Amino acid sequence: MATYMDVNRVQYVAFSGTVAPLSKLYFCRHCLKLRSRDCVSQEVDSYYCSNCLENMPSPDAKLKKNRCANCFDCPSCGHSLSTRATSVAFQDPDNPGKSTPKKVYYLACGFCRWTSRDVGLKDQLIASGGWQEQENPNEKRISELLDYYKHLAQKDQTEREKKKYSRRRSYLHLSEKFGLTSHAIKKRSALMGIGGISIKDDDLSVDIEPSLAIDKVEELPDDVFTKPIVLTDVTTIRQRHANPDFQPTHISQLYPRHKTMLIKRSQRCKECEHNLSKPEFNPSSIKFRIQLVALHHVPEFRIMSLPNLQINKEVQLILTLFNPLDTLTHVALLPSPTDELKWDTAKVVLPTCELVLSPRDDTAEFDDTVDQQQNFKDDPSVVVSRKSNKIGFIVKVTPMIADDDVRISFIMKYDYKNMTPALQTEKKQPEITWLQFPVLVNLGKITG
Amino acid sequence: MPMFDTLAYGGEKTPVVFDIGTAYTKCGFSSECSPRKIVPSTVKKAKTGELVNIYDISDREELYRLLIDFVHLLYFRHVLVPKERRVVIVESVFTPTMFRETLAGVLFKHYEVPSVVFVPAHLMALFTLGIPSGLVMDCGYKQTIVLPVYEGIPVLKACQALPFASKAVHNYLDAQLREHGIVRDSQGEEKPLSSVKDIVDENILEDIKVRCCFVTKLDRAQQIHAVSAGIKDAELPAPPPDVQYPLDGANTLTIPGKIREHTFEILFERDSEEQSVSTLLLDAIIQCPIDIRKTLAENIILIGGTCMSVGFQHRILTELYSLLNSPRYKNRLALKSFKFHHPPSKRNCVAWLGGAIFGIQEILSTRSISRDQYTKNHCMLPDWCSLYDYEESDNHSAILLKKEASKEVLPSVSKSPRSPVVAKKV
Ligand SMILES: [Zn+2]
Ligand SMILES: [Zn+2]
Ligand SMILES: [Zn+2]
Repeated sequence: MATYMDVNRVQYVAFSGTVAPLSKLYFCRHCLKLRSRDCVSQEVDSYYCSNCLENMPSPDAKLKKNRCANCFDCPSCGHSLSTRATSVAFQDPDNPGKSTPKKVYYLACGFCRWTSRDVGLKDQLIASGGWQEQENPNEKRISELLDYYKHLAQKDQTEREKKKYSRRRSYLHLSEKFGLTSHAIKKRSALMGIGGISIKDDDLSVDIEPSLAIDKVEELPDDVFTKPIVLTDVTTIRQRHANPDFQPTHISQLYPRHKTMLIKRSQRCKECEHNLSKPEFNPSSIKFRIQLVALHHVPEFRIMSLPNLQINKEVQLILTLFNPLDTLTHVALLPSPTDELKWDTAKVVLPTCELVLSPRDDTAEFDDTVDQQQNFKDDPSVVVSRKSNKIGFIVKVTPMIADDDVRISFIMKYDYKNMTPALQTEKKQPEITWLQFPVLVNLGKITG
Repeated sequence: MPMFDTLAYGGEKTPVVFDIGTAYTKCGFSSECSPRKIVPSTVKKAKTGELVNIYDISDREELYRLLIDFVHLLYFRHVLVPKERRVVIVESVFTPTMFRETLAGVLFKHYEVPSVVFVPAHLMALFTLGIPSGLVMDCGYKQTIVLPVYEGIPVLKACQALPFASKAVHNYLDAQLREHGIVRDSQGEEKPLSSVKDIVDENILEDIKVRCCFVTKLDRAQQIHAVSAGIKDAELPAPPPDVQYPLDGANTLTIPGKIREHTFEILFERDSEEQSVSTLLLDAIIQCPIDIRKTLAENIILIGGTCMSVGFQHRILTELYSLLNSPRYKNRLALKSFKFHHPPSKRNCVAWLGGAIFGIQEILSTRSISRDQYTKNHCMLPDWCSLYDYEESDNHSAILLKKEASKEVLPSVSKSPRSPVVAKKV
């Protein structure tokens, strides 16, 4: 019953009140508080392509609509496409009958075997790029509409400022028509007025042809009743949605799409705005420049062994405690003063003595010459095991409620040596702060 | 598309536009021609790993937490922007207040966006056309809603809705396949679908619908309805060819031509109150003053993913003319013709595109709710941001909503005799 298997067994209460396992929390060493995702703001750090691992500066990414210029997704299955080279015999125009081989390139999917040749795209003479972009046929019209409504909005704005009452009056005829009170019209016009400005306005410098309604719509093809469907030729809804402009219905209309970039995120403490996590810039690196995860700064509890839990019967529970810090750490466990979260379902007797944890030492694992038990005068009735930066200790638990999980809570208090670089330069001695975090433990169902 | 971003707007960043539909969410940037991504409106529950539709979460706190995850994906996986941008939310006129408020909370409190504006999908459709009036039908996933807009004002009292759209089609298809679907396994042995699969995943039903089914012609549909109504001598038209649909590695499902043709009829069958998606359009017109009816009938706009089904638009057109001569409308509507607009976008993205056009900065700054206003208003949405005024909306929309609720529970009671299969499932 280790908490490796179920991280939600031992949870910590972050400053915002969010309850989460330590692995999901940050520790802001500037505010000295546990931060959950509710008190962390996220930022886009850099854009990169997961296929070619190229970084793209933010203005470029914006211009390219967050898509990689060189890489394509397979329009059929979404896998990355690769460029294939082949040579084709070209007919020499000056010398008919004689052909010369020439190198050409096409795109192919290694997963579903779709190729750009399937849909009749011409092979390219250069290895990268050259592929014609699909253009939305409505682009011109939409940009006219944008211009038009932008001007309307500007005009609306100036008119509003000039004569605040006339606009309201213009809705009076509507209020009669639809039986709305003028109060309602006024309220609604705040949102809707813009759609109602007449489009036959003379003094408008930008004008637009309003869309013309016709009595024709898309017909049902006649052969639908007789022609058998070749299912593999009809695209799936996912393939259609992958290309919102065109939403191809037949596989012959599939077109390679530029690969969407991925981002690296950094997170900031919402209170002090310091970075809590910042990845390295290099797209192929999975390391971080700043990584203030709580696991590196807050001692971690795990459940080592679970006794048989019986109602109203005191049992000994062994918890392990790890010290992630490279300093000697003193931990005291205090009872929770109030049970605001209505968490507890069991009585708990906590060790009254201070628990001392050796610093984390990554080399200690290879060095078993030192018998650490000697160095610490542990009370054997509390501390049952000790190895490098880890101890096992006893907590006595009496389950009180029969049909519920057995849950206990306490407050962990420990001395944290603030090693922020700024502080280190000012003083030789790192500042010691006592930090307190509430800890919630769920021991599971009563067993006996 | 010209990059308006910094050039035209003096440094102000283009807003992001989210159209969070009941099945799919369209997300992208204002002043672009199409959304960057179309993604399912589902989110994974952290504890169970189960995918849930964000509109199916009824607990406010759970919705808040899951919307944080959902919006996170929209921001950091799909539109990829830092968040200090205004937000345009395109929504249905029937979006539950709880959903809207929770979403506003997530955007303002968690993501700290500078401003949010909620705009109704139907109104947005007109922005893609450059017209101020029209009769907009949105046929999406859960509901079909018809709303007339006149001179930019949505005529709410004429709003018509039915809880029939693609979800109803999926349910009906499911029931039909369960009854008639035959599966052939790798040994060539045939057995009923129900013996192979307990539940057919809705994604598969959607795939079958999208790739195999179509909305048939009115004359054939009338024959089909006559047969299902048990009229003597009525005969089904010769069905289209069957389709062999690979269900999984081992099994192939035969989808009878009959099912391919009949599946969408659930939308067009008249229920006990004689309503279907087509009558919604006429009923909405009847609720409007006489002098604007012609304008509405000649400015029909069909939006929503279901309108993209093969044959759907044509069926609506022919049904409208046929309904005009039916006893129900003959003496009540003096309309001669119906005309349809063709928006500059795929139907499922029309509302999004309207939002993207609406979102140009000058309009937004005066019409959205800023974070300041939101905080000052004790984290409540000011009432003007919503189209709805509960105290003053006439009983009509209330009745509509009620009617819907009763239908959701008992689709078979109000629908034609062919539906008992659906009832069994419910
Ligand atoms: Zn790339
Ligand atoms: Zn592929
Ligand atoms: Zn901080």
